[in-house]
Amino acid sequence: MQEHSLAPAIDIAALNKWYGTFHVLKNVDLVVGTGSRIVICGPSGSGKSSLIRCVNGLEKYESGTIRLADTPLEMDAAKSSAARRQTGMVFQSFNLFPHLTVLANCTLSLRRVQKKSRGAASEIAMHFLEKVKIPEQANKYPAELSGGQQQRVAIARALCLNPRIMLFDEPTSALDPEMVKEVLDVMTSLARDGMTMVCVTHEMHFAREVADRIVFMDQGSIVEQSDPASFFAAPTHARTRAFLSNLLH
Amino acid sequence: MMSIFQIWLGILQGLHVTALVTLYGLLFAVPFALLFGIAQHLTTGLARFAVTAVIEFWRSSSVIILLFVFYYALPVFGIELSAMTVGAMVIGLNIGGYASQSVRAGLQALDKGQSEAGSALGLTRAQVLFMIELPQALTAMAPTFINQLIQLVKGTAIVSLVTLTDMTFRAKELAQIEYDPVAIYTSLLLAYFVV
Repeated sequence: MQEHSLAPAIDIAALNKWYGTFHVLKNVDLVVGTGSRIVICGPSGSGKSSLIRCVNGLEKYESGTIRLADTPLEMDAAKSSAARRQTGMVFQSFNLFPHLTVLANCTLSLRRVQKKSRGAASEIAMHFLEKVKIPEQANKYPAELSGGQQQRVAIARALCLNPRIMLFDEPTSALDPEMVKEVLDVMTSLARDGMTMVCVTHEMHFAREVADRIVFMDQGSIVEQSDPASFFAAPTHARTRAFLSNLLH
Repeated sequence: MMSIFQIWLGILQGLHVTALVTLYGLLFAVPFALLFGIAQHLTTGLARFAVTAVIEFWRSSSVIILLFVFYYALPVFGIELSAMTVGAMVIGLNIGGYASQSVRAGLQALDKGQSEAGSALGLTRAQVLFMIELPQALTAMAPTFINQLIQLVKGTAIVSLVTLTDMTFRAKELAQIEYDPVAIYTSLLLAYFVV
């Protein structure tokens, strides 16, 4: 980790993105230090998902720069595999591959991209399936698992590639309430291990407990960002206050 | 008067030709369906228009006209193809044109999250296609492929028109010799049903 300590894990500057004529990200600046845990919240349509999808290279952007530990992410993300390899992505709808077992979901990229042997790939996959407390499901298919279990597999699958940054796009929004906790517990333990994390989520309890900074977005801009204590106790912006009062009451 | 047994025996003498045209037809249909279905899924703009034009040529033309054109007209340009080749190609590509639409529909019906998850895991576009999208699309489309295989078997009857002695051709011969079209064509119908 030491050799990377000079550059922030993520450095986003003056990022602009349009969907057609809709200006979805407006001059967004965001710096995420190595080992820090950022929660991004805001009303739907505020651009928070688009922002982390840009960081993962799933979306193109029109102007600005994104650097991941000094490696620039090209605007045409397809050319930025070096930068993209640093990030792991967890989706709202899990996006496990239904035709592959849990283990094969985890080993696919290890074997096909990193060219590891079957044995080595399985060993890595089992390590992370144990980390998300689900090793006994390795040979089942995703459809046989609950939503919470599927999302934990998706986290393990992303971790297998040893990313330096984990991106979570509303990881608990598609889950039944009783399954939210098992996923948040896994994320909390990841944070304790020092993983750099950026989470788009409405789980304010998680944000308060785990985040070291909360970023509030509205209409494509970052409205305010601060540590959780000040964010909840004394939000400075009227839009933040309105959002929080809707969420908490 | 021929017995029903004799009629069946006569018709089944054409079975191997029907089977061969079906088999060769598949050799045209399967690669065409995969190649053009995938190409239509991946391309945009002018390239997609060109791909679609080729598919539509084979899919939308009348098989009987294609058969006559390729069998009787090509030799004029010095291209001599056997009746078997022309029959298998025309029927195969016609059915392949339909099947290509199943391939494309199967690919496009997949959740976009599948390919996104693949590319987030560092897979190339080709790896996403072959390891994630196609296995799911082809499994989902299997019932329609069975349908199209049945269409192919039935479609082979048309090669009797270009001198191939398949089951239909045999039935016509028998009908002309025996003057018993009802029994013979009914048997032919049942023969295709059984096949």
